[in-house]
Amino acid sequence: MEKIILLIPAIPIVIAFLLIFVNKKELIPKISLLLSSMIALLGLYGAYYVISNETEITGFGGLLIYNQLSAILVPYVAILGLVIRKYATKYMWDEAGYKRFFILLNFIFASIYLLVMSNNLIVLALAWQLMSVGLYLLVSFNVGSKTAVKNARWTMYIHKSADFVFILAVILTYHLFGSFDLAVLKEQWLVMSQNPINNPMIFAVGLLYLIAAMMKSAIVPFHIWLPYTSEAPTPVSGLMHAGVVNVGGILLNKMAYLLILTPAVLNIAFVIGLFTAIFASMLMLVVSDIKRSLGYSTVGQMGYMIMEVGLGAFSLAVYHLIVHGIFKASLFLESGSVIKYARNDSIVPERLSYKIFSKEKLKYYKVKTVNRIALFTFVPVVTFIGVKMLLEPEFFEANATLVILAFAWLTGIQFFLSYFRVAKPNSLKVILGIISSFALIFFTYEYIGSSLEHFLYGEDALLFYKAATLNVSMAMAVAVVIFLMFIGCLFIFRKEGGNSKRKPDQSKWSYYRFLANEGYYFTMFKSSKKGEL
Amino acid sequence: MIANIVFFLLVGALPYYIFLEKSEKFSSKFIFQLSAFLLTCAIVLSFFIENEYSKTLVVIAYISAMYSVYRAMKTTNFYKLAYYFIYINAPFFLLFEENGAFYSLSLLISLFGLYAIANFYEKHYGSANYLYVRGITLATPLVGIYITVYLISIGLYPPLPNSLFFLAYVFDTEADFLWYIIIISIYCGNFLVSMKVLEKSIFGKTNPNIHYVDLNTKEKIPHFTIIVLLGLLSLYATKEIFTWVL
Repeated sequence: MEKIILLIPAIPIVIAFLLIFVNKKELIPKISLLLSSMIALLGLYGAYYVISNETEITGFGGLLIYNQLSAILVPYVAILGLVIRKYATKYMWDEAGYKRFFILLNFIFASIYLLVMSNNLIVLALAWQLMSVGLYLLVSFNVGSKTAVKNARWTMYIHKSADFVFILAVILTYHLFGSFDLAVLKEQWLVMSQNPINNPMIFAVGLLYLIAAMMKSAIVPFHIWLPYTSEAPTPVSGLMHAGVVNVGGILLNKMAYLLILTPAVLNIAFVIGLFTAIFASMLMLVVSDIKRSLGYSTVGQMGYMIMEVGLGAFSLAVYHLIVHGIFKASLFLESGSVIKYARNDSIVPERLSYKIFSKEKLKYYKVKTVNRIALFTFVPVVTFIGVKMLLEPEFFEANATLVILAFAWLTGIQFFLSYFRVAKPNSLKVILGIISSFALIFFTYEYIGSSLEHFLYGEDALLFYKAATLNVSMAMAVAVVIFLMFIGCLFIFRKEGGNSKRKPDQSKWSYYRFLANEGYYFTMFKSSKKGEL
Repeated sequence: MIANIVFFLLVGALPYYIFLEKSEKFSSKFIFQLSAFLLTCAIVLSFFIENEYSKTLVVIAYISAMYSVYRAMKTTNFYKLAYYFIYINAPFFLLFEENGAFYSLSLLISLFGLYAIANFYEKHYGSANYLYVRGITLATPLVGIYITVYLISIGLYPPLPNSLFFLAYVFDTEADFLWYIIIISIYCGNFLVSMKVLEKSIFGKTNPNIHYVDLNTKEKIPHFTIIVLLGLLSLYATKEIFTWVL
């Protein structure tokens, strides 16, 4: 009976096939929604079955599996799919190609389910490529727009390269380990991890999987497809930022046991992820186009996700991609209604938070440097120490601690400042708000992260942390975080402090120009096209 | 060696570049028909003749295949495009022969689809040139769908049979340097050409100077047949892959 869950990837294909014969426009979303709710129910049932029986469901000769990872991701994708379909029902109503849109949407969802539930490298390779073509057709949905088609071309080039790298990795995996079956490979990799490995081919295979994941997850330097594809319909943007970019993380989780054999690949992932997170976040703040800014925000988050993988925190990466997906999808899907309300009322939405944090009138006054340092370095350090006292000491032995702390702090502030309108960034209420927000996110992250880790990998999770050999000491981590926060806050205060009359010096302009031009990445492409490079 | 030369003459692009291209007697439509016929003969023969491939001939076919990629990127004619695709894939056939026959067969079927599209364009728009007949996704959705399917199939995307057979052979054979070069080039060559054509033909704004016509019932039949054949080949290819994997 439970084997029926393995039919999930086939259901969107059936929906797409049925829609071909539906001529009444009203019926298209109804059929799509009805049958995709079935997927959500099946997914939830599957999750319940896997959790309650502590077992996995395999079928089709071991090609498909509904395991712990699927039990988390399939219901997430299914519910996301329902929301996107529901949203698209009205949003896409007046667009030409309504039926085509729903067919393509179902097609891409089928490939995501197949990818998540695959237990064989060939099935994974097929799903991986199916997603590329589905995405291309969805991104270029607005066929009349030159820029949409041009950006879809770039998307396709990068995704095809990802397909190619992935296929190459699969060929090498088969030649090295003699199997396509992920369950068999996992056992083999676990046994191999008990002894030191010095095979450059294993490193090459690991690196190829990492590159393929980076391409699909829009990690620098393969990020160009994501910020520029915002011309796609909003439901597609929602799907891309909440679903498609996550497949890199899903792949790396499926390959987690291979990556423990190649610590160097994990280190590379960490460094590239860190660079992506910082670089994309800076670009996000500078680019003038709001949709591109959101695109860079996603690139930055994917950087975090890859960084977590690089530290051996595979389950955290899964949690991160789910949370980010929900957040980003809601941002995209909510944008229309926010614009609608904002047209009527400039301070919408007026919440309780607005009354608490924004009703105070702005008063700029000079703050002493000592106070600034105290406020934005002392407070977080005290909070970190407080957290350390509350948590188990083992928690701080893992490298992932750095990411969790930094992520919790940054997300806490980001969450607070983006959700609440803050008039006085240095008032006591705001500081308390930020600290509470940090604590809330940190404990949620830590609690769910640990539970997820236990659920997904059990005792094996320790192997991942051991494999991640890039050691960053706690003191160094805190020092770096303090330094970064201090620099950031200094910028904020100088801006707020009324120094606007002073002209920024040349180096600041150059720095701003560099960021505003997105690191001259696209200028380089254009120059090479013209033959100037 | 004789068998190698025969296969080379049947599928390789060199005879075309030496004899056919320069002759004004042969239209591009005829050249496609001839090339497709010769490829069919090669596919049939490959089942009867056991043969080790010749590296020299594969390399020559490879060089002309790369030249064909260049030519295919330049052309805007569906007939020419169809036979260039045969030449682009010639080294694959020579390398795998009877093992690669099903790949060549599914390629041939996809190309017949393109040929049918070329016929349609010639009939309704005066030539098989697609350059100015843009934006057909919205104007003539059925033609758009068929072109998309054929080109995606040639561009080696699953679940269409070309990609599945390609993957099956790629995973199932011992690799050497020449193998890698050929596989990578064919994979990229097919993709680049088909995506370029896809972008130039089905996307874009509709041309107001053109009276767009969609497929009528009679014209739908060959395309429907081709899709069914591709579907059947896909099922066969899937079975082949998983029989081997399991």
